Amino acid sequence: MRIVPLLLVAALWQAASMTGLLPKAVLPAFSDVVIALAGLVTSGEIFPDTAASFLRAGTGFVIAVVAGVVLGLLMARVRAVQRAVEPILLVIYPVPKPALIPLFMVWLGIGDVSKITVIALSCLLPVVVSTFNGARSVDEMLLWSARARGTPERRLLWRIVLPAALPQIATGVRTAIAIAIIVLVSSEFISAEHGLGFLIFSYGGVGADDAMLAVILYLTVLGYLLDRIYVAGLRHLMAWHEFAH
Amino acid sequence: MTSTSWLSLQGVGMRYGEGAQAALALESIDLAIAEREFVTIVGPSGCGKSTLLYLVGGFLRPTSGSLTLRGRAIVGPGPDRGIVFQRYSLFPWLTVRGNISYGLEEQRIPRAERDQIVGEHIRLVHLEGSEDRYPRQLSGGMQQRVALAQTLVCRPDILLMDEPFGALDAQTRRILQDEVRRIWQRDTKTVLFVTHDVEEAVALGTRIVVMSARPGRIKEVIQRDFDVAEGEEFEANPAFAALRLRVWRSVKEEVEAARV
Repeated sequence: MRIVPLLLVAALWQAASMTGLLPKAVLPAFSDVVIALAGLVTSGEIFPDTAASFLRAGTGFVIAVVAGVVLGLLMARVRAVQRAVEPILLVIYPVPKPALIPLFMVWLGIGDVSKITVIALSCLLPVVVSTFNGARSVDEMLLWSARARGTPERRLLWRIVLPAALPQIATGVRTAIAIAIIVLVSSEFISAEHGLGFLIFSYGGVGADDAMLAVILYLTVLGYLLDRIYVAGLRHLMAWHEFAH
Repeated sequence: MTSTSWLSLQGVGMRYGEGAQAALALESIDLAIAEREFVTIVGPSGCGKSTLLYLVGGFLRPTSGSLTLRGRAIVGPGPDRGIVFQRYSLFPWLTVRGNISYGLEEQRIPRAERDQIVGEHIRLVHLEGSEDRYPRQLSGGMQQRVALAQTLVCRPDILLMDEPFGALDAQTRRILQDEVRRIWQRDTKTVLFVTHDVEEAVALGTRIVVMSARPGRIKEVIQRDFDVAEGEEFEANPAFAALRLRVWRSVKEEVEAARV
């Protein structure tokens, strides 16, 4: 049922192209985009770039999740860490991270390191914020309950605070998945020799709009699938929590 | 050591906040509880009865006075004092089995022994068949059974209960009251039970502590001089009815005083 509005948009797009209402110089027909995508997939041309991109995005994302959870927990439990880190995060929050890419390239080279750094930095914020909020809102009674059942202070973080904060952390991680893809493409626009962002940029540069849109469509579908898989995995692994839709 | 000094509260006071905003929750509480007693604390809401329980649990520190259990000062929470809250006793991410096993894992009890103790307690609170369910999949009554078992596996010297059945319907509450009484009689544990329900206080407590409205003081301590048996229709017992009325009048005075 949820696919109906999407099909409707595609049909309208196609109809507009076929009637000439939407000239192909402005936007290629939906069918041309699909044909271009089929070509990219059947020739296998798109897969090395997919691998390169997902390695970058995946590495940055994993670094962000690990660092973000650790930092968020520490901020919630250690006052000094919160005082030291919170102002920095608040300042970094509104910075358009992709705009820092040229700077990172000067520091870290034009290769993968600078891209992974900017992806990690961008993904870090939602993870830190959700972890911090989740850890801070753990009910005091749960901590009391654990203490009364023999949990020493130093183990509370691991035994109670982290699992209790997981549902909130999970929503921050979900946001980070989307951000990783967005920042990945931006970073590959600026400088890359492979990657899906590079493909979009180069096809766009030579006027191959159907292929450019095919890669965008491909990324969109992959991003959507990733999100669905993530949510389905969460519902399975965290059956103890009732997630909102 | 005399038995009356088993759990002892001397001149205990509790003040929340500071300066002009300070609120006195408890004032000069003296209470001695003997081993194997079942003491219920009843009073109007806001009288500090839960605070009193949290002090015994060691979750809060009194602003004056001292608390000792078996002659040793209470300085923090510990598995020698098991607590069941009205809610939030259970860890939502653990199954029934995981929740009951929790305290044993924290005490590093070997797996085989742990499984055996958990199995016994699942039977004790009649949760067979629900071992692998999560708290959110259980009714309120079942959740409190799990909380009870989770507390009992730690073999506490005293069971602290903070309005544990306050959120349950009347029938479930009655069943669980019977269970708690049965466990108390079987293991002859000491129980300190906080409630705002006068009938519950009289049905369970061998001694009933009535507290005054804020600041909470002990208004009177009433000894119940008859037994209540498991499953007994105590409503039919004239002695029960008389005691219930007496406690109710005492509490009602405080409710009215608090309203003024």
